[in-house]
Amino acid sequence: MKKIYSSLPLVFFFILTIFFFRQLILKEDPSELPSVLIDKSLPIIKLEKLAEYKLFNRENLLLLKEPSLINVWSSWCAPCKIEHEFLLAMSAEYNIKIFGINYKDDKKDAINVLKSSGNPFYAIGRDEDGIQSINLGVYGVPETFIIDANGNIRYRHVGPILEYDMKNTILPILNSIK
Amino acid sequence: MKLITLTLFFIFSSIALTHSQVSYKADNTEAYELYEELRCLVCQNQSLLDSDAPLALDLKKLVLDKLEEGKSKEEIKLFLVERYGEFILLKPTFTIKNILLWVGPLIFVIFGFFTTFIFLRKNPLTKEENVNLTNIEKERLKKIIDRELKE
Amino acid sequence: MIIELGHYCLALVLTISFFQFMIPALGVRFNSNSLMKSSFITAYLSFTLILLSFFSLVYAYVTSDFSVSLVAKNSHSLKPLIYKISGVWGNHEGSLLLWVLILTFYSAAVALLGRKLPLKLISLVLSCQGLIASAFISFILFTSNPFIRLFFPEVEGEGFNPILQDFGLAIHPPFLYLGYVGLSVTFSFSIAALLVGKVDTIWVKWVRPWTLIAWVFLTIGIALGSWWAYRELGWGGWWFWDPVENASFMPWLAATALLHSSIVAEKRDTLKAWTILLAIVAFSFSLLGTFIVRSGVLISVHSFASDPSRGLYILMLLIFFTGGALLLFAKKASHLKSGSLFQPLSREGALVINNIIFASAAATVLLGTLYPIFIDAINNSKVSVGPPYFEAVFIPLMVPAILLCAFSPMLSWKRAKLENIMERIVAVFLCSIILTSILVFIYNGSASAFLGVFLGFWLILGTIYEFIMKVGTKISFKKFINRSLNLPRSAYGMSLAHIGVAIFVIGVTVSSAWRIDIEQPITIGDKVIINNIELNFLSVNNVNGPNWIAERGVFEVLQKDKNNEFLYPERRFYPASQVNTSEPAIMSNYIFDLYIVLGESINNNKSYTLRVYYSPFLNWIWLGIICMALGGILSLTDRKHRLGYTTKINSANVNK
Repeated sequence: MKKIYSSLPLVFFFILTIFFFRQLILKEDPSELPSVLIDKSLPIIKLEKLAEYKLFNRENLLLLKEPSLINVWSSWCAPCKIEHEFLLAMSAEYNIKIFGINYKDDKKDAINVLKSSGNPFYAIGRDEDGIQSINLGVYGVPETFIIDANGNIRYRHVGPILEYDMKNTILPILNSIK
Repeated sequence: MKLITLTLFFIFSSIALTHSQVSYKADNTEAYELYEELRCLVCQNQSLLDSDAPLALDLKKLVLDKLEEGKSKEEIKLFLVERYGEFILLKPTFTIKNILLWVGPLIFVIFGFFTTFIFLRKNPLTKEENVNLTNIEKERLKKIIDRELKE
Repeated sequence: MIIELGHYCLALVLTISFFQFMIPALGVRFNSNSLMKSSFITAYLSFTLILLSFFSLVYAYVTSDFSVSLVAKNSHSLKPLIYKISGVWGNHEGSLLLWVLILTFYSAAVALLGRKLPLKLISLVLSCQGLIASAFISFILFTSNPFIRLFFPEVEGEGFNPILQDFGLAIHPPFLYLGYVGLSVTFSFSIAALLVGKVDTIWVKWVRPWTLIAWVFLTIGIALGSWWAYRELGWGGWWFWDPVENASFMPWLAATALLHSSIVAEKRDTLKAWTILLAIVAFSFSLLGTFIVRSGVLISVHSFASDPSRGLYILMLLIFFTGGALLLFAKKASHLKSGSLFQPLSREGALVINNIIFASAAATVLLGTLYPIFIDAINNSKVSVGPPYFEAVFIPLMVPAILLCAFSPMLSWKRAKLENIMERIVAVFLCSIILTSILVFIYNGSASAFLGVFLGFWLILGTIYEFIMKVGTKISFKKFINRSLNLPRSAYGMSLAHIGVAIFVIGVTVSSAWRIDIEQPITIGDKVIINNIELNFLSVNNVNGPNWIAERGVFEVLQKDKNNEFLYPERRFYPASQVNTSEPAIMSNYIFDLYIVLGESINNNKSYTLRVYYSPFLNWIWLGIICMALGGILSLTDRKHRLGYTTKINSANVNK
């Protein structure tokens, strides 16, 4: 009996180390978080119109009946400028419909970006105070969501989409859900 | 005498407790309480209350708006959990999944008392041992007596 | 050149400390006194060489030698001298060197003071210390070498995190490590006792002062860290239940339990296996803390730049030392004889409950801190365990501990009669209830405020009452003074530490229950009124510091019947590291703290977000901690605990 008691601490410690090993070996960044909206239906988002650009809402995406992207961007965000060319490539070369959410941005600045570097977006809506993006569980800009033909969120990409991300994650996922 | 003290105690504590219902933190206590229980997602380990990050400010505004709409604290939490996951709650939910976390402390205490109980029952203090002092005790007793004598 | 010398010394100590482990162990095995005695020499030698090695690194920092990689990364020639020196331990590599320095310092101290201890015991202790030292030095040399030179020296350093440039934080790590590493001494003593297979009074008398030393340093170290967080982070709080904070809190809780259980072990010759286990656990918590802080397995505000390979190495060290010690414990603990017995209602009984509570508290903090890892592994979901959880579970644990603390010193050893102390308990209870009710009624507090203030009064009154009873009642005043002067210092130490706890509890309760927060935009010329204190925002000036530029807000504080004072919160910019920080301004006195933070400027520098925290009695928190630490120091100066004292009794016994 006494023996069992005195080996209890060792047993607990052993269990503890298993968890530590797992955490170390996975080398996961504990601050990186998966989206909880994956495989859930796109929530309702109420956006405002940006100048002459076509506005969109949840129904437009559902009626589309094909996979599409939602990209949250802003003119003041430096990484957004980097991914801009890949967004253009996807809409032009791969004919993917990208819906842009202009996040907490100045109207003029946003229009300037679209005029000067090209418009990759099929439709655009403004989220002036950032509240609508919270519905999507957005942490910051840029973020990109892949929506399937039924209007379900399938994937979330945090940070800019670079060439590697486009070729190795975004496009394959889009192809697989077609 | 005892009766008087008991009544006194009751009067005082009841006064104090009825009084205590009024909170000092003025009008937006609910909002503050929520801020304290929600995590600033883009910071390292800060609550919304402590954070100035843009997303935290937006979330604070959202909380205030929802409260004005008349939503309850629980509804707001649920709304945010649906969008950001349970990670946003600094106080994990009281559910089966987190049962270990919540009953853990109680188990530790019960286990401690249980072990002590077994230890004491196995080795009860008998009268005999009460008389037989250990050597250290004898030494100490002698010292005490010596000191008292000196005084 | 000096750097290479330091590097060489460190490498040399790796060998020496390995000898310090091996030779005495062989000496014990083959019963050779001369082999065992070698441990003293190696202990002194290791300390001297590590000291040289440490100073060579300090020298590199002070002279801003940017050919050393570590200095180039973490220092800057414009930094004030004190922060250049504290920069030595403001990073992973340097702080480990400090860790090892302190470890060898303790080994040398144990060797010096333990000359008269049984040779077998002391050489086993030093052997264990040597093993710990060689493990950590190899960790430094193989994964985190601070002495690496750059092939192309830098012209200027990269500076270091500006919020770490603070006096409190500069001296925080040395104190914290003196506490953490101090627990290695009791750990080694426990290993030695398990190996010898005997826990006698000499052992206990030696362990108690060393625990006390570690506990005092740990208390001060944690408090300094918390004080820094309060003044520097600008959130108005002082404890955030962050993993790194918890990592220092767990050993503290274990050490507090150990402190109390060693009293029972010393006075009553029982609870010995438990005391040994606590000593092992306390040091294991220090190692665990090192792992958590440096491996990056958890999210924290304060973690060092983390590196998985280092994490793996520390995990190996943790498994080796803790696992090994617990294995030894599992094998040997059942052979330890438990000594004299006691009834549940006795001083021992009360101290056992104290131990159950503190051990549970430590286990709870461990559970809460590591829970995100568990749940992630079990069902792959992410949860946060933050302050609301810890407050919810910690307060119910601590309330009985404090209730018990006031009257357990009144209980007699072995078996106590409740009737004897019932009268006192009732008296103290009523006094504190009445005082609390009046105060809470006048100042309009909540139920939790009532509880906290009551506990504070209860503990203060109970402790004072107990002290008076110990001296004696119904005696003349002169005799009372005489007798109280004759009381051992450890009695004073205990009372002071317990009163410190009470002051701390009152500080915590009042400062949170009556705290007022204000967050609003403010323009120059505006005023804010907070609890009858008027704050006028007069102007914003630009100021230059040694390595920063800042916008400094000027606020006039007007109180009724008092001279006006000024507060200067700053928004600093550090060009070297391109970082903005906010320096809160704090007006602090024994009644309240007024804490203001100048936030971001809005509308092109015309207005700012202002945050104001009014926390009454906040200084009582620090005062309470100071009393606890002073109580510990006072106990240490007790003749009975003076290191080396017991050896005299021992030799006297032998002479008989």
